[in-house]
Amino acid sequence: MPAAPTILERPQRWDAAFDANMTDEDVSRLLLTVPFSGMDAEKFPKRTPLREILRNDARILKFRKGEIIMRQGDYGTSAFLILQGAARVVLKPDLPPSLLGRQATNKKGVFRTLAQLWNRSRPPEMLPRTLLGQSSGVSARQNEKETRVFLQDVPRILDQHRTAEMFAGEFFGEIAALSRMARTSTIFADSDDAELLEIRWQGLRDLMKYDDALRTHINKIYRERALASYLRATPLFKNLSKEQLDRVAEAVEFSTYGDYDWSGEYKRLAQSGSVRPEKEPVIVGEGDYPNGIVLLRAGFARVSQKFGGGERTLNYIGAGQIFGLNEIAHNWRNKDAAVNMQFSLRAIGYTHLLIVPTRVMEEIVLPSLPKNELPPPVEKVEDDLDSAPPEIATREKVGAEILEFLTENRFFNGTATMVIDLDRCTRCDDCVRACASTHDNNPRFLRHGPSAGRLMIANACMHCADPVCMIGCPTGAIHRESFAGQVVINPATCIGCKSCFTNCPYDAIRMVEARDERGELLVDQEMKPIAKATKCDLCVENHGGPACERACPHGALERMNLNNLDALSKWLKL
Amino acid sequence: MNRFRQQFIFGLLALIAATAGALWLNAKYNALPNYAYLTGWALLAGMFVLTIYNVRKKLPFLPLGKSETWLQIHIYLGFFTTLLFLIHLNFRAPHGWFEVVLAWLFVLVSGSGMVGLFFSRVLPRRLATRGGEVVFEKIPTIRHALKTEAETLALGADAKSLVIAEFYTKRLAPFFAGPKNFWNHLAESRREVSVLLAELDDLRRFANDAEKEKIEKLTALVRQKDGLDYHRALQLALRLWLFVHIPLTYGLMIFTALHIILVFGFSGGAR
Repeated sequence: MPAAPTILERPQRWDAAFDANMTDEDVSRLLLTVPFSGMDAEKFPKRTPLREILRNDARILKFRKGEIIMRQGDYGTSAFLILQGAARVVLKPDLPPSLLGRQATNKKGVFRTLAQLWNRSRPPEMLPRTLLGQSSGVSARQNEKETRVFLQDVPRILDQHRTAEMFAGEFFGEIAALSRMARTSTIFADSDDAELLEIRWQGLRDLMKYDDALRTHINKIYRERALASYLRATPLFKNLSKEQLDRVAEAVEFSTYGDYDWSGEYKRLAQSGSVRPEKEPVIVGEGDYPNGIVLLRAGFARVSQKFGGGERTLNYIGAGQIFGLNEIAHNWRNKDAAVNMQFSLRAIGYTHLLIVPTRVMEEIVLPSLPKNELPPPVEKVEDDLDSAPPEIATREKVGAEILEFLTENRFFNGTATMVIDLDRCTRCDDCVRACASTHDNNPRFLRHGPSAGRLMIANACMHCADPVCMIGCPTGAIHRESFAGQVVINPATCIGCKSCFTNCPYDAIRMVEARDERGELLVDQEMKPIAKATKCDLCVENHGGPACERACPHGALERMNLNNLDALSKWLKL
Repeated sequence: MNRFRQQFIFGLLALIAATAGALWLNAKYNALPNYAYLTGWALLAGMFVLTIYNVRKKLPFLPLGKSETWLQIHIYLGFFTTLLFLIHLNFRAPHGWFEVVLAWLFVLVSGSGMVGLFFSRVLPRRLATRGGEVVFEKIPTIRHALKTEAETLALGADAKSLVIAEFYTKRLAPFFAGPKNFWNHLAESRREVSVLLAELDDLRRFANDAEKEKIEKLTALVRQKDGLDYHRALQLALRLWLFVHIPLTYGLMIFTALHIILVFGFSGGAR
C-alpha cells in the first residue's frame, strides 16, 4: 500500500521576507515617503498589495559615514532608495581594487615563478601572516545584522577622486538589479545617519509594474544611461544614423523572464531530477506571429522545437545574441509568403531582454542592412536539421546528447569550463598535480564531474558569464579580475561566510580551514577555525595560461567558453 | 582529419625521413674512424631530450609549452633514438655483461614506452565506452561498500536463505573480497563474470519469490563490481607502465654515464 502523502501548506512567495524585522510602523512610515506616498495602492492586485511588497521585499538599512553601500563590479540583486542622510558616488577615477576588498592582479615575475621550485612544501591551505595583516585602506565592522566594510580615509578619497553627493529621495542600483549586470559605480554613505531602503529585485519589478510614474522614471533612466550605448554597440544597428537609433531606442520594450535566484531553484530541480524545458517560461512560442526581434541583454535562453510529446533543444543563446531576425527579415522580403516563428525561445534561469518591434525593424533597421547581411529566407525546418539556419545547426555540430547535457546542467554559463575528452584522457592526474604545484600544493579542482558520452565537465570553476557566486559577498572578496574577467577570490578579505559557496550551482567552490606557517589551524578568539572560500583562479598570476590545460599530455583537457559551441564542436572533431 | 591522425601522419613522415637520412649517413660514413663516437653522442643528446620531458612535467608552473607538444616530440624522438641505438651498435648484439645490461635497459625503456603509447591510445576510449567513470583512488571505498551491501543481502540477520547464503560464501565472497579478473579485463574478456552471472541465474530454479528478488539485487551488485574491476584494471595498466619506464630510465642514464667514462677511460687518449 502506498504511504500517505505528507501534507504541507503550499509554499508562498513571501514565506521568507527580505527582512523579518520590518514592522508595521516601518511600512507605514515608508508609505508616507516619496515615491511611495504618490503611488495608488488600488492599482496593486490583491495578491501583491503595495504594503506587503514593502514589508516583504524591502528592508531598511542604516549606514555610518564611509561604509560602502555598493561596489563597482559587484553583481547586486537590489536597488536602493535614500530615506535619510546622504550617500556619495565615486565618478572618476575608479577606486583602486584594494579599497573594494579585491587584490590587484600581480603576475608572477621570473624570480617568483622560479621560487615555486623550492617554496612549495607548505602546509595545506597556508595563509601567510603578511597577507592577513595587509593594510588595504578598508576595514570591516560587524553590526547586529551583517558585516560592513568602511573606507578608512574618506577625506583622501574626496581629494583624489571626483565624486557626487546623493540625497534623500534618490534611487540607485536599479539598472544593475533589473538587468543583472555588474554595478557600474561605488557608492558609500556620506553621513553618519544615512538610512536607505533596499528593495530586492522582485519587489522593484512589481512596483514598476503597477506604478506608472516609477516605471516611467526607471525606464527613462535605463534608456538614457544604458540603452543608447548598448544599441550603438550592437552590429545589427551599425548602419543607423543617430536619429534612427533614437527612434529604435524609443520603441524598444524591456522584459525579464525566469527566476532571478535561478541557481538555488536550479539546484533544487536538479536534485529532484525535474529539470525540463517544458517548465521554463516561454519568451516566444513556436508558431507565434513574429512581434519583434529579441535581443538578449543578460542571462540565457533555450531555442527549442516541439518533438513528440516534449521539446528538443536546438541551441541556447546568451547575452548579445538575437532571436527572431530570420522570420522578420523573411516576412519583410516575402510579404505573400509570411511565416510564423519556427522555434520556441524559453528563459533558462534569469533572462533580461530587449524587444525591437517588427514595425521598427521593417521601417528602420532592415532597410539599413546590405543584402549580404540579411539572413537567408526561412525554409520549413522539420526533421531535417541539416538545412536549419546556422545558429540552429549547433545541434548537429556537437550532437543531440551533448547539447541536451550542456543545457540541462546549465554548463553554457561557463566562459572557461574545464572540458575533458574521456576518449583521450588517460586518468593520469597530471592536470591535478599541475594545479596543486601552481597553488602551493593545494589543487583547486576535482578531475571528476557529470559526463555525457565522451565529454566530462570537471568540478572546476567555470568563470561564469552570469556569476551567481558573486551575489551577496559582503566584502567584495570574490570578484571579476578587471583585465581578463576571471572570477577570483581575495583570501585576505574573504570572511568565510559561505555566501559564494552556497550560491554556486556547480559546486565549484570549496570552503577550507586556513593554517599558519607551522601548519596549525588559524582560529578566532572563540577558537573557531577561520574558513576561506577557494576555487580555480585560472592561474591568473602565472604566465602561459591555466596549468591544468598545459599539463595534459594528450590534449584531453581544455578550458572552453561554452557560450559558443563552435570551439567545442571543432575540438570534438579533432 | 582528427588530431591524433594528423599528429600520427606528420610524425610518421618525419620519422621515415629521419630514418632514411640516418640510414643513408650510416651507409656513407660507417667506415669513418670516429663514427661510433659520433652516433654515441647523437644518441646521448636524443636520450637527454627524452629524459627532460619528465622534468617538464614536474615544473607545470613554468611557461615551458604544452605537455602535449612535448609528448609528441618524446614519442617520435623515442622511435628515432631506437634506430640510432641500433646504428650505434652497428646492428650487432652487444658483448660483455656491462654492455648487455646497458642494451637491455635501453630495450626495456623503449619497449615500456611503446606499451605505454599503445595503452594511452586504446584504453581511454574503452573506459569511456564502458561508462561508470570512477576516480582510481576511490575504487577501494566503493568496492568495500558493494561488498558490505552484498554481504548484508546474503548473510545479514534477515537474509533467511540457505541457498543464497551458501552460494555467496562459495562463489560471491571471493569475488567481492578484492579486485578480480585483471588480465581478463585488460584482454576485454567477459568470460569469468559471465560464468558467475550464469551460475547466479541458475540459482533461480531453487529460489522462492523473495529469494528471486535478492538474486536480482545480487546480480546488479555483481555487474557493478565487475564494472569497478574493469575500471581498476584499465586505469592501473595506464599507470603501471610508468613504474617500469621511469625507474629504468634513471638506471639507463646511470649506466650510460658509466659507459661514457669507460669508453674514454679505455680509449687511451686517442680520441
